[in-house]
Amino acid sequence: MRIFDPHVHMTSRTTDDYEAMAAAGIAAIVEPAFWLGQPRTTVGSFVDYFNSLVGWERFRASQFGIRHYCTIGLNPKEANNPKLAREVLDLLPRYLEKDGVVAVGEIGYDDQTDVEEQFFGEQIELAREFGLPILVHTPHRDKKRGTERTIALVRRLGFPPERTLIDHNNEETLPLVLESGCWAGHTIYPHTKMDEHRMAALVQKYGAERVIVNSAADWGISDPLKVPKTIAVMRSAGIDDGAIEKIVWENPVAFFSQTGRLDPADLDTRPAIDRTQTFETNRVTRG
Amino acid sequence: MLDTLIPILRARCTGASRAWLDGEMAAASPGRPAADLIRAYTVAPRRIGRASLALSADERELVAAHDPELALSQWTVDDAARAAILLAAASADPSRFQELALACYENGDAREQQSWLRSLPMFPAPERFVAQAIDACRTNIVPLFEAIACENPFPARFFPERNFNQLVLKALFNTIGMSRIVGLARRLNPELSRMAADYVKERQAASRAVPPDIWDVIAERDAAQLRQEARS
Repeated sequence: MRIFDPHVHMTSRTTDDYEAMAAAGIAAIVEPAFWLGQPRTTVGSFVDYFNSLVGWERFRASQFGIRHYCTIGLNPKEANNPKLAREVLDLLPRYLEKDGVVAVGEIGYDDQTDVEEQFFGEQIELAREFGLPILVHTPHRDKKRGTERTIALVRRLGFPPERTLIDHNNEETLPLVLESGCWAGHTIYPHTKMDEHRMAALVQKYGAERVIVNSAADWGISDPLKVPKTIAVMRSAGIDDGAIEKIVWENPVAFFSQTGRLDPADLDTRPAIDRTQTFETNRVTRG
Repeated sequence: MLDTLIPILRARCTGASRAWLDGEMAAASPGRPAADLIRAYTVAPRRIGRASLALSADERELVAAHDPELALSQWTVDDAARAAILLAAASADPSRFQELALACYENGDAREQQSWLRSLPMFPAPERFVAQAIDACRTNIVPLFEAIACENPFPARFFPERNFNQLVLKALFNTIGMSRIVGLARRLNPELSRMAADYVKERQAASRAVPPDIWDVIAERDAAQLRQEARS
């Protein structure tokens, strides 16, 4: 079964991870722009980060036979630095036109402050202007309220729910998101957010329509093989392969391809692995 | 406060570290270059050590006479030396204090920022630094979060309700005991109770343990509602 992990922060991962992911059947990934574990202090750090998402990291993934796409946006945590946030917003239009950028994200609420809402709303407007869907982070703390506020904001701005992927859902938020018409992402983590068994139970209860799972692997305790591991648990729970394939392949492909920025035909072949290739004279074999 | 901190520090110094400390206190003057002060702030642990401050009962009383909510129970000697350096600068030239204090905090490493946040309640007009304190709560570095959230009277005194509530919820997420949040009882509010009650439901829906002291911040009405939902 082909696997699409629609939320994984490969910048924080090793080549061992890429090899294991490819071997487990992961053929395509989306790497959302997010924060680096501690706040950036100058806009130049964002420029270099965005450049690496559309440049070196995509090349690195290709060297393991994996198609790499990304989303570009200002994450909610760093939206709380308004001066820097404004400078980052000014950068976004250029990046939102680049090849391989398939959504605006991660955007959303974290502490649920007024400035977070301001920049969240402005980025929804950018998504509309640039014909992109949005990938929305939901907060760790006060998650249900944050999810309700997300749905309300998307609705108030008249942004199409079918172009909205609300991520990091749990038992309390999934029914709200499905009811709203948005897509529902689930992050399968070793200790927090959601685990494989709870995910299988949610699929049994709510079905596969607009349901997506991801690993969100990053610099924290996380596992880039969580999507294939969830497949195994769903199978042993008796969920049929058609529903599983919808969740781990058809749904993310449908979501990210709906405005034409991801061409499903590109996914029929894997990038050829040629490790003599270089990216600006740098290559994954080093030396 | 500085007059209390200096004897506490000197009592924990040996010859070389005492000379360094005395030199730093003597260097505090209106014209002291910022780079000189920032360097002293950074180098403090290498000059004076990183041992626990471990106040005696008498010393605790002296500190409490300045501020009864200030315990310094988690402090190390370098935290105290850094506090003394900034407080000396504040008394030498109050007009430059804000600029110098921010310079020590911004681009400080995690330990420097931890020292700074611990000493924040001692600063003159500390409320001017509320933005830095709120931002510090967004860290993923738990010891840094604890420096502002725990054994520190600043948040209860100066945080707006929404930010105070986020701090409490983040402490619960990190299984930090509610008893470590200074002034919590007087900042309880219905929105915090609602947020904590939602967190109980979220944990229960995921079959996960609920922090045992979460009930400290949940109002009886919300707790009764949760008990009723659990029965039905």
